[in-house]
Amino acid sequence: MEMFLMVLCMSMLGLALTAIAFSSATRGLDDREPAPKQPIVELPAMPAAQFFTDRATLPMAARTHLPPVPVEALLLQLEQHIRLEHAAAEAFLEFPTAQSLHSRTTSPLVH
Amino acid sequence: MPNAQPELVRGLTPAEAERVLALGTPMSLKAGGVLFRLGDPAEQVYLITRGRVALTLPMQVAGREEDVLVEERAAGETIGWSALIPPHRFTLKAAVPLDTEVVAFSRAALIEYFGTNPEVGYTVTRNVATVMGQRLQVFQTMWLREMQRMVEHRSA
Repeated sequence: MEMFLMVLCMSMLGLALTAIAFSSATRGLDDREPAPKQPIVELPAMPAAQFFTDRATLPMAARTHLPPVPVEALLLQLEQHIRLEHAAAEAFLEFPTAQSLHSRTTSPLVH
Repeated sequence: MPNAQPELVRGLTPAEAERVLALGTPMSLKAGGVLFRLGDPAEQVYLITRGRVALTLPMQVAGREEDVLVEERAAGETIGWSALIPPHRFTLKAAVPLDTEVVAFSRAALIEYFGTNPEVGYTVTRNVATVMGQRLQVFQTMWLREMQRMVEHRSA
């Protein structure tokens, strides 16, 4: 019986010491200032993927990934563009207004 | 020629125009021929009497130098006025896309004739100035239109 009481007392004492040690170890955790929040970095929105992209508006690196336009086709487009621009300039000179100066053409190089 | 009076002699009497036109030398060019090249000494003014002349400038296209059409001139129109304006160098290339005929007027012959016929010289010079002025105005307008597009593109 004495033996049992001694073991019980020792167990209670151990439990108490453990509780004290635990409480001292965790004390103050709630009192500490919360860690400063990391500033939120606004990432630039990624542009939506485009199937039809104006080659001229793309950066040079991106342009190289597009299938090349045959030189002959490009020359024809250039010629058509110059003819249309020439006609637009002549139309402006006939009746000069700010609107006719910047009138649109059907040139494939500006659409 | 489609017009009654070619551009170069517009405003002259028929007799005066005939005398000026007689100063020129007719030339025939086959399709694909070149009348003058960029940088060549400009000694002659040309009046197109038949066909068509393409005025081109060199451009780098896909790593290759290509002649890009700048203007096209037809019968009755004048080209090569660099012959009358210092430093007398052609600033374009003139090629013919189809069989073409022109009349070539040498600078020396024109200046000599204008010296003895100043009124004719004045009229012809004014005609040449009109061609130059039109070219300047058209290209000034084209340049401004391109600049406007560049500004729109940059501010988009």
